[in-house]
Amino acid sequence: MTQDVEMADQALPSKSLSSPDPSVLPHLKEIASLIETGAYAREVRRISRAVRLTMVLRKKLKASSLGAFLNYVLVPGSDVHSRLSSFLPKEDEHDMEVDSAPSGTPAPVKHPLPELEIYCYLLVLIFLIDQKKYDEAKACSSASIARLKTVNRRTVDVLASRLYFYYSLCYELTGDLAEIRGNLLALHRIATLRRDELGQETLLNLLLRNYLHYNLYDQAEKLRSKAPHFEAHSNQQAIFHTIPFCRYLFYLGKIRTIQLEYTDAKESLLQAARKAPQAALGFRVQCNKWAIIVRLLLGEIPERTVFMQKGMEKALRPYFELTNAVRIGDLELFRNVAEKFSSTFGSDRTNNLIVRLRHNVIRTGLRNISISYSRISLTDVAKKLRLDSPNPVADAESIVSKAIRDGAIDATLDHANGWMVSKETGDIYSTNEPQIAFNSRIAFCLNMHNEAVRALRFPPNSHKEKESAEKRRERQQQEQELAQHIAEEDDDDF
Amino acid sequence: MDPKITEVSQTFERFKAAFVRNDFDTCTRLLSQLKVLLTAFTSLPPLFQETSNAIHELTIARDIYEHAVVLSVKMEDQDAFERDFFQLKPYYTDACGRLPASPQEYPILGLNLLRLLVQNRIAEFHTELELLSQSALDNPCIKHAVELEQSFMEGAYHRVLSARQTVPDATYAYFMDLLAKTVRDEIAGCSEKAYDRLSTSDARQILLFSSDKELLQYVEKFFFLSKLSDQKCCAGASRVGDEGRVYHLPESKRFRPLQGNTVPSAHHSNTQLRKGVGANRLRRYATHLLL
Repeated sequence: MTQDVEMADQALPSKSLSSPDPSVLPHLKEIASLIETGAYAREVRRISRAVRLTMVLRKKLKASSLGAFLNYVLVPGSDVHSRLSSFLPKEDEHDMEVDSAPSGTPAPVKHPLPELEIYCYLLVLIFLIDQKKYDEAKACSSASIARLKTVNRRTVDVLASRLYFYYSLCYELTGDLAEIRGNLLALHRIATLRRDELGQETLLNLLLRNYLHYNLYDQAEKLRSKAPHFEAHSNQQAIFHTIPFCRYLFYLGKIRTIQLEYTDAKESLLQAARKAPQAALGFRVQCNKWAIIVRLLLGEIPERTVFMQKGMEKALRPYFELTNAVRIGDLELFRNVAEKFSSTFGSDRTNNLIVRLRHNVIRTGLRNISISYSRISLTDVAKKLRLDSPNPVADAESIVSKAIRDGAIDATLDHANGWMVSKETGDIYSTNEPQIAFNSRIAFCLNMHNEAVRALRFPPNSHKEKESAEKRRERQQQEQELAQHIAEEDDDDF
Repeated sequence: MDPKITEVSQTFERFKAAFVRNDFDTCTRLLSQLKVLLTAFTSLPPLFQETSNAIHELTIARDIYEHAVVLSVKMEDQDAFERDFFQLKPYYTDACGRLPASPQEYPILGLNLLRLLVQNRIAEFHTELELLSQSALDNPCIKHAVELEQSFMEGAYHRVLSARQTVPDATYAYFMDLLAKTVRDEIAGCSEKAYDRLSTSDARQILLFSSDKELLQYVEKFFFLSKLSDQKCCAGASRVGDEGRVYHLPESKRFRPLQGNTVPSAHHSNTQLRKGVGANRLRRYATHLLL
């Protein structure tokens, strides 16, 4: 949503002043040379840097500068060149001539590198998406995917993974995600065969997203459980891996929630929310919403601080009221909240989960009753729970007996007198409870320790080049850029 | 018209005739013939080729599988139901843009939900539920199944059982009967934990039996079932005492000496029975009483 606003702002100036921004073209040329050296030296690092720099330029891209850049990098008149320039708006013809004159003469490379060619595709695609020319974007992305299938170079992987992403994005924006599912699956297979890890991660995420878009949880789970896992990278420091991993965790959490594996779901969702970059607000809000529901379903009550996180108060408001209703155990209030925010829950697609919560509301209410009264008649239980059914006492009786069986409350029923007798809570330290709690905490600490030790492993060759001050600065900067980047991407999803 | 289609529709007509007569043998025979014939159509899933009479083929195939699902319910064959339903599903999900909606769609989806509920496959139940649109959820057939699941999860078993009277479709009766059995087992399991003692008449009422005899038979079965499984279950097993009371022994009272005249006192003059011995004796005694 935020992005739409931004784009509306920027659409105006691009029309009014059509002269090429002088600063963009040299930057693009710089990036091109970066890709070139990266391709020759087989250094993926440089290419990733080029992609990051492009994201910074994204907002300044114009048809004119793009046209000039295409002329500079690709051979004018070649297949690719004519195809790509056909996607650019024609009105800037005049400017293009001006720009192409100087760059056409040197004719830098006769046969452009595949990396550069792919990069041009990426650039044009991003431009088209930003200009909301989705049909052209779709054509362009399909052409680029067809070209990608014939290139097998590890240096292309970074560019390719971005292309996959935008390929899926432009189909999602036009609402035809189902169309490309087969293609994505084929690409995922190719990426797996080529050991293109980044591509695999990106494509797996896109596929999961694709399935979940249509609520195909079954298929998503089957794919996820059979696809090569990338938990193995979870400790890699490279931010390029953590972002796909965050998304993966989020999708995983969603799948598990639907399949009632709440404990695992909670773990993935909380981890996703924690690992996501600070700037990715939309993504974190979404993670938090799901995490709150899962915790409620588990019978936990999320702390107030969860709802008071910066920038999230408003978005989490409905969930806050929901939590409140569950905490009090008031069915009436719960029903009202669910009704009041049903449109929000509908658009978050959490409606069905909220229906499941009803049962937890009853449980909490029952627990409160069982704590407050040592003996209470079933009629009163039914009244307090506000069960609206033709036969409240019988319902209350069976609900209580189920709660006793499930261990939610410690009580017994007396059918003859029609009351519920709460058992006195004995000394908890005489049971195994403290031991169990202690054990789970120790396990958590040990696990954390192991994870930390594992994370200490360094990527290959890192011992050879020490991180200089400049490099560190660069790394921090790129992390920030990326964080911003994912934030933008997520804003248009949610 | 394509001879293949003519053949299929003729066989299908015969199948429908047998279907109405409830002639299951003929039905199954014709159905397997039909399924083989359908494989020759390339417009069906998973190929979905655009042929000239694709719509006609898809419609007839969908109709056949719908009948197959209903037939499996009539024959009370859950495995066949699952197989046929999965064959039918692509017609609802992937071909929905090309075919007019089938009037049978929601009843069959509801049936499938009910089946998952009966088989206690709750995760799959929810996965299927996510696929349904809001309008589908408002359909009485689907709503019925969804409400059943809710009452089942809450423990409002009476609501589940009373839903038997309000089935939206006659085919639902089979699964509702199965569900009633599941519910009874659930109630028995819950009451075992929840009540210290329960008179026979109350137990009969809670477990929804019409006569004491049925109750005794059930208790017997329940008891033997628990005996077969691990030790824990048999500790909570029910026992019929001579004064006509069903005792439910919660776990905490497991090896305490039993009060009253229900067990001959000679067997346990010492206050604490040892684990294995106690349980065995109890079981032998209860069996003796029941037989």
